[in-house]
Amino acid sequence: MAVRREKAERLADEELMPLIGAKDPEAFAVFYDRHGGVAYSLAYRIVGEPGAAEDVTQEAFISVWRSGARYDRARGSVRSWMLSIVRNRAIDSLRAGAGKAPKLTFDDEAVLEQRPADELTEEEAMRHETASEIRGVLGQLPGDQSKVIELAYYGGFSQSEIAAMLGVPLGTVKGRMRLGLEKIRGEIAEGLA
Amino acid sequence: MNEHDRWSEEVAAYVLGALDAESAAGLEAHAESCERCRSEIRWLTSAVEALAEAPPRREPPPQLRERLLSEVDADVRAESPGVEPGGLRGWLAGVRIGSLTWKPLVGLVAVVLVVAVVAGYVVGNDSGGGEGGATYSGAEGAITAEVVRQGDGAELNLAHVAELPPDRVLEAWVQREGTVEPVKALFVPDRDGNASTMINDMSGVEVVMVTREPAGGTAAPTSTPIVTVPIKD
Repeated sequence: MAVRREKAERLADEELMPLIGAKDPEAFAVFYDRHGGVAYSLAYRIVGEPGAAEDVTQEAFISVWRSGARYDRARGSVRSWMLSIVRNRAIDSLRAGAGKAPKLTFDDEAVLEQRPADELTEEEAMRHETASEIRGVLGQLPGDQSKVIELAYYGGFSQSEIAAMLGVPLGTVKGRMRLGLEKIRGEIAEGLA
Repeated sequence: MNEHDRWSEEVAAYVLGALDAESAAGLEAHAESCERCRSEIRWLTSAVEALAEAPPRREPPPQLRERLLSEVDADVRAESPGVEPGGLRGWLAGVRIGSLTWKPLVGLVAVVLVVAVVAGYVVGNDSGGGEGGATYSGAEGAITAEVVRQGDGAELNLAHVAELPPDRVLEAWVQREGTVEPVKALFVPDRDGNASTMINDMSGVEVVMVTREPAGGTAAPTSTPIVTVPIKD
């Protein structure tokens, strides 16, 4: 039997997944309401236009609906798992030529959320703040480091492709990726998130 | 440069998804026996997870939610066509024989017919008729696979499967008349290296295969099978 909406809303993501695996529409609706925004935002960041971002988000959530029982909590949070699905689908979409080339800068604050901050839940507000801070960290990285990271993660390019694109040795790309990620991780470890 | 140093250089590209498939497989194989590499992968994966949260927030259009929930409702209805919950109708609707779902039947004659069919099916299986219980095996390296026929479908069981990276799943495929189709069931190995999934329709299947694919699965295999099981009817 489907759980009631209010009950589903009180459950953690990890507790929702077995219900989704058992094909509970209310559990799925709660799951979408929690993560639809960040999923769509990531998809949009990668594919660069609303129609393709919608398609990617829809495919990713339907994939979770049909394989939700396969989530293994030993492999990380549900949210990270969900976003890795979105990212993979978005990169597939890019490679299929369905989206525009990815943007390579984080100075696009003009396209921030449409809801005013006081309508966000406390948890959403915290995540929003974290996202802003991560953008800040990325903005503070040396340009050559943030560029290789963005080309890899949001552009779906391999390190060899990035080396050829930028005209630098492969070892340089590896080093820049490593340094950039270490700095981001260091900021997280210092309590940024 | 030792083995660890060589693979450690690739960890950043690996967690960013920027390593070619062959090198990624090499790193995964090395990491199985290298705690330092596993630790580096875990450490930098957190940075990559932060990248997923970083894009400026955009609200998805409301029609996306409506479309998704409509599709979900359609799936649920397809599982239980025309069901009124509870009572005799609900019970009859829940009676499944193989891949068939019985629609609600009303009246004693219909009940008797259903019971007779169910009884016939059970007797047929007990007597060893059909393909129920037939088992097919395959192996690749340390991985072993077993396909156990159950009615129209089968259970696929793998053993000795190595741990997968967080963004990878196992995906099963069947080959019919030379065409490869996804089983549409994704799965992952447990801590003991065992993994199982169901194949709903085994009709005409010549080979069952399993590949490692990105989380969420793919429409066509993107890597070579980790194991294949020929089905000899």
